[in-house]
Amino acid sequence: MKNLLIKLILMTLFVSSGINAQDKKNVVFKYKKHESFDLGNLEIKGNIIAPGDLSVMERERKRFNRNLLDRDDFNSEVKRDIKTLR
Amino acid sequence: MNKLMILLFTFLLTPISYASLAKANKYFKANSEKNADKIMYELMRSKYYFSAAEFAKKVIISGKPINKNMEKRLVTLILKTGTLSFTGLDENILKGRHSKALNFILGLKYFNDGRYKEAAHALRKPGKRHRFSPESLMILGASLNIINKDKNAIKAYKSCIKSAKHFENKANNVKLKRYYTIIKESCYIHIARMYFKIRKYKKSVHHYEEIPKTSYRWPYILLEKAWAYYYMRDYNRALGVLVTYKSPLLSSYFMPEGEVLSALSYFKMCLYQDTLKVVNNYYGVYKNRSKHLKNILLKHKDSHTYFLKLMLTPIDQNEKANPFIRNLITQIRKQIKFNLDLVNYKKLKNEYKFLKKRKKTPLVKYLAASIRETLNWRTKHLNHYVKKQMFSFINDIHKNSYEMFNIKLEIMSNKRDLIYRNKELVSDRSRGDISNVNRTIDQHFYMYNGEFWADELGDFSFGLKSNCQEVKTDKK
Repeated sequence: MKNLLIKLILMTLFVSSGINAQDKKNVVFKYKKHESFDLGNLEIKGNIIAPGDLSVMERERKRFNRNLLDRDDFNSEVKRDIKTLR
Repeated sequence: MNKLMILLFTFLLTPISYASLAKANKYFKANSEKNADKIMYELMRSKYYFSAAEFAKKVIISGKPINKNMEKRLVTLILKTGTLSFTGLDENILKGRHSKALNFILGLKYFNDGRYKEAAHALRKPGKRHRFSPESLMILGASLNIINKDKNAIKAYKSCIKSAKHFENKANNVKLKRYYTIIKESCYIHIARMYFKIRKYKKSVHHYEEIPKTSYRWPYILLEKAWAYYYMRDYNRALGVLVTYKSPLLSSYFMPEGEVLSALSYFKMCLYQDTLKVVNNYYGVYKNRSKHLKNILLKHKDSHTYFLKLMLTPIDQNEKANPFIRNLITQIRKQIKFNLDLVNYKKLKNEYKFLKKRKKTPLVKYLAASIRETLNWRTKHLNHYVKKQMFSFINDIHKNSYEMFNIKLEIMSNKRDLIYRNKELVSDRSRGDISNVNRTIDQHFYMYNGEFWADELGDFSFGLKSNCQEVKTDKK
């Protein structure tokens, strides 16, 4: 009984390996040389939330204001005058 | 003949001097605190003014009322030894005294501490004919000006001019006359600055023009006048005023801010090439010179004598080290405070020398110790005064190089902006034309032929046309 069970397992292994070897030989992958898609015909489901035209908003270029030297008064010179007087 | 007169006077005065010092010795031995006013008087008679000032301070600290005689002596001591002898006194001692001389000291002390409101209060009644009224009125005006009490400030300055004129006419020697002239001119300048502050630039220029070209204050006001023209949008006139600093007569007056203002004036006329030339010259010449000067001065920053010695040695010996040294020494030497402090410093040295030759009585020993201390303190004070001005000049150059950098960035930004907008500046003009010169009825026009004429200094104007008109790049 034991010998019969071993024979059956061995036969199953032999048959299955033979089938695998046959499959590898027969499979051939082929790709289409040219294919075109009609995008206009494609139907996409959903809601349009953006404007249909491609547009660029024109805006003023950001200018960074640098504080160039300004003179509001001559207080520092007034102080210096007194400090260099007496 | 003069020398003979001086010798004769010395022989005549010496016995009085000895007799007064002997009396002072006697009073000192009896009670130095109680007899402080008598000792002060005797020392003044012997012409030991710095020693007398030591005892005058004792009298003031004692709280004794200041009578007419004491007031007169205080005025003399302040004139002979300088304000420094008394500015060290505590404000609580000086406050509330019926003395115009002490009020002047207190006002000056408050001003130097930045307490302008208190300074104005201390100097509110300077007295019309008091010896210190021109100075007091000038400090009063300055204090009121800084705390924005403009009307009262102008009133004080006008009184200052009147008072200074009175003493100027009364002065019997050239130096004293010049001193009051400078105070009078300073008050005119301060009024001009007040009009500048409230943006009345025409009036401001009008007051600046009260200062004659021969005045010691004149080179300094050119920069301020140029600012007034700049804000009146007369950039050609601003550039013309500033170019005066390039004349050989004013070679000792290098103003870093003047260079920035020149660059700004070109910039406002969109003359970017000219602006960059000024900026690059500043970096290439002046900044390097100041770095070099900084390295020289930093080596001596902890010295208590180096800067004073620098001032006392002939300019020719020091200017080789750095060209800015001549500028600084010339400008500091022309300041009233430096001159007065230096003269007093030399007098103090002489007094110390004379005291050391006297018989070593307790009074002489006491005075010699105290005068030696004052001498050390005044050496440090004068040295510090010069050092502070030299380093603040270096800081000014550094600060203004930051301003120059900003101008350069602004030009780059403007140029980039033009490219983005496909535009450029017109630039199809001649370099200068008389039609671009703004003139008042009393201003004449002469072409500049590469020479600076002394009488024309300060009256120059450029004739450049603004380049701010933009044109499309492809249409040009």
